[in-house]
Amino acid sequence: MGQLRQVRSVAPTDDAETTCLGAYERELDYLLVTLRRLSASPSDVEDLAQEVFLVLHRNWSTLDRTRPLRPYIFGVAFRIVCAHRRRRGREVPSAYMEAEDQATGPEGLLQSKESVELVMAALDTVPLQRRAVVIMHDLDGVPIVEVAARLSLTRFGAYARLRKARGEMASALRRLLGERGR
Amino acid sequence: MRLHARALDLEAVMESGREVPPAPDLVRARLLARARAVVATADAKPPLAVMAVMRPATREWRIAVAAAVTLALAAAGATAALRARAPRSPEVDPTARRSSEAPRVPASASQPPTEKPAPPSASRSRPTRLHRSVFPQESYAAELGLLQRAQSDYASHDFPDALVLVGEHARRFPNGRMAEERDALRVRSLANMGRGDEARHALADFAKHFPHSALLPRLRQSAHASEDYFP
Repeated sequence: MGQLRQVRSVAPTDDAETTCLGAYERELDYLLVTLRRLSASPSDVEDLAQEVFLVLHRNWSTLDRTRPLRPYIFGVAFRIVCAHRRRRGREVPSAYMEAEDQATGPEGLLQSKESVELVMAALDTVPLQRRAVVIMHDLDGVPIVEVAARLSLTRFGAYARLRKARGEMASALRRLLGERGR
Repeated sequence: MRLHARALDLEAVMESGREVPPAPDLVRARLLARARAVVATADAKPPLAVMAVMRPATREWRIAVAAAVTLALAAAGATAALRARAPRSPEVDPTARRSSEAPRVPASASQPPTEKPAPPSASRSRPTRLHRSVFPQESYAAELGLLQRAQSDYASHDFPDALVLVGEHARRFPNGRMAEERDALRVRSLANMGRGDEARHALADFAKHFPHSALLPRLRQSAHASEDYFP
């Protein structure tokens, strides 16, 4: 039992807790937008973010903090969204486009905002396994080797998914822009 | 139309998708409050935290403890079986028999049940320990629940009710784990009600107590905004 006492000392743990909270606070915006990109419904986003924090908090002591945190957070978020979908047993289409459209009319939208909407809507059309690769690599700028490691894929598998996902994104964008142009 | 012109330029559209918009203040505060509650709960359960960082070498200890517990349970079972067969003495009272079911009776297993009652300290210690481990969690849950109700009122623009709940939180948990979020909510509620002076005082108090808070810049902004609306 003496050995157990040596393992946990109060001051470093408190510091670690603070750092974990601080990291979570710093990356909260990124986490929320990632969950939305992974098509988590707006009503579920906060609960899923909390689940991500629980994982982060649980693994904080063993985490390699010299490496960027975002790829790790993305990997956790991706797995949690997948598990959440399995629990629900069905695909949950994101209400991103509809929610934004209700909030602002087409004329009032700024161009950049419209582009963000388009990207989100196009992402919705890509199956989740491929979407994760394209988000990580093309949007978050994570190298493909890291993408493959975080998503437990081979490098070839990651490249294949990326290529296919880009194709799906391009066709979805063409279709969405065609619909809006009418 | 301009957007349509660059429709096929996937890279250009993706570029705009790289933006990470800031989360709304309320969502941020709510999530941070929940995260703090998790950390606080974890602090309140040191044995679990210690188990989480145990090295593999301590597994042997766990196996030994598990084996000891199994043996003790088996001994208790054997004692109970023997006692069931043995003739009962009329003077044994049921409360004394219950105390004999403690695991440490193998030596007297073949003896008739002339047990002594368990020492009072053993019977008292268990509920005390339970009370100690549960109470902080309940306190955090109550704190969190109260603050969530206040935030919900704030979100539905019911600022007076939000202030009432904030006040109740301050009364019940003056040094609570979510005092920062509570005080921030007070500033925002006051600002939204147009009570500019009180909002400024609350903001000054907040800045005094939480000078490094991440919420502080946004609170200043909202206080300034309220001055514009309610000069």
